[in-house]
Amino acid sequence: MRERLEWVTLIILVSLMGAGWIYVSRETSDAEPMPVTTAPYVGNLAPDFTLQTIDDQTITLRDFTAEGGTPVVLNFWATWCPPCRVEMPYFESVNNLYDGEVAILGLNQAESATVIADYARDHGLAYPLLVDDDMRVNNLYGVLNLPTTIFIDRNGVVREVLIGTISQAVLEDRIEALLE
Amino acid sequence: MLPFLNIGPLGLPTAPLVYLLGLWLSLYAVDRAARRLGHDPERLYAVASVALLGGFIGARLVFILLHWSSYDDNLLGIIWPLTSGYHAAGGALIGAAAAFFYGRWRDLALWPTLDALAPGLIIFLMAVSLADFLGGAGYGSLTSLPWGVTQFGVRRHAVQLYEVLAGVVALGAWWAVTSPRFRGLDGRPFLLAVAVYAGGRLFVDAFKETTPLMGGGYHVVQIVCLVVVLGALVWLGRLSAAKSAGTIASTH
Repeated sequence: MRERLEWVTLIILVSLMGAGWIYVSRETSDAEPMPVTTAPYVGNLAPDFTLQTIDDQTITLRDFTAEGGTPVVLNFWATWCPPCRVEMPYFESVNNLYDGEVAILGLNQAESATVIADYARDHGLAYPLLVDDDMRVNNLYGVLNLPTTIFIDRNGVVREVLIGTISQAVLEDRIEALLE
Repeated sequence: MLPFLNIGPLGLPTAPLVYLLGLWLSLYAVDRAARRLGHDPERLYAVASVALLGGFIGARLVFILLHWSSYDDNLLGIIWPLTSGYHAAGGALIGAAAAFFYGRWRDLALWPTLDALAPGLIIFLMAVSLADFLGGAGYGSLTSLPWGVTQFGVRRHAVQLYEVLAGVVALGAWWAVTSPRFRGLDGRPFLLAVAVYAGGRLFVDAFKETTPLMGGGYHVVQIVCLVVVLGALVWLGRLSAAKSAGTIASTH
């Protein structure tokens, strides 16, 4: 009988302490908002840039996300990178699937517009491929490994950074999350 | 944070490496635990292998089923790339179910089997936390405390390492309760280790920035952990009461 009472007391105590801790550590809406700074990291504003596409169009990141506009998927890649080549068709596919809802941007690493254009023609890629032959934006984003994919919400805030090859399903899953 | 290990021109992703190390260590731990408890290590090693393999395949299958429209015209995508595209909860459920039915097929007693599997389970969860730490996932909230670590350019709670610490404490509890002095109640090592680990995760999840939330801002992981802790304590109480009743009956 005494042992049973001890167990019941212990369980009640743990319940109260656990529930109390859960209550204390809940996320409250009156918490002070975190200052949003510019950095290529989750929770920060994606650094702005302007680059030319292989078709000589000028693309500025902020044009998409200004005033709660369009989410952006920014994929850093290179033609010599086999894992990048695996996922290029997925980006082409979601570019068609979410046409106008999400901006898919392929940001090449250090190759010339001619090399990128040849690759795009050979593989039937129609989504915007940006030229960064002097590595200015690659360095701005601190990209060390390819492929790297950055998901930016409609307010320009980085929501996720994925390093390594991703499947089309993962890509669609993350895009749906950006559109929610 | 060390998402990639750069060896010359080769960049090895650290998270999959830690997962592989975790798999190997958890199987090794099950083997050692079985020997410590006086069970057949080969049979328990087989159960653990079934759980891990079932979990891996299950996590992939559940993700594919949930996103079938992305796979029906790209069947190769089911097996490649393997670096992402898993459903953790689905994997855990299918892995546990696979181990359960395999154990029944091999006529393994439930509690002694769980006692031997507990260290392997906790070590695998510790490896997941460590992989998150190195890869940059599941990071902590901002802090100015001296033991904070710099992640994503700001000082944060090293919450993934706190989770590893919770695992170390749980393994210590398992080790203590399986010592000759306390041994003798099947199920107690498993339930105690699970209760300690879940209690630790309940505490440290408060410092996690990326944890899933439910209505009112409550942490889902904390609520699940509290349920697990209470469930383990209730079972421990029942086992303990049953043992006492058995002891009293045998003395009469």
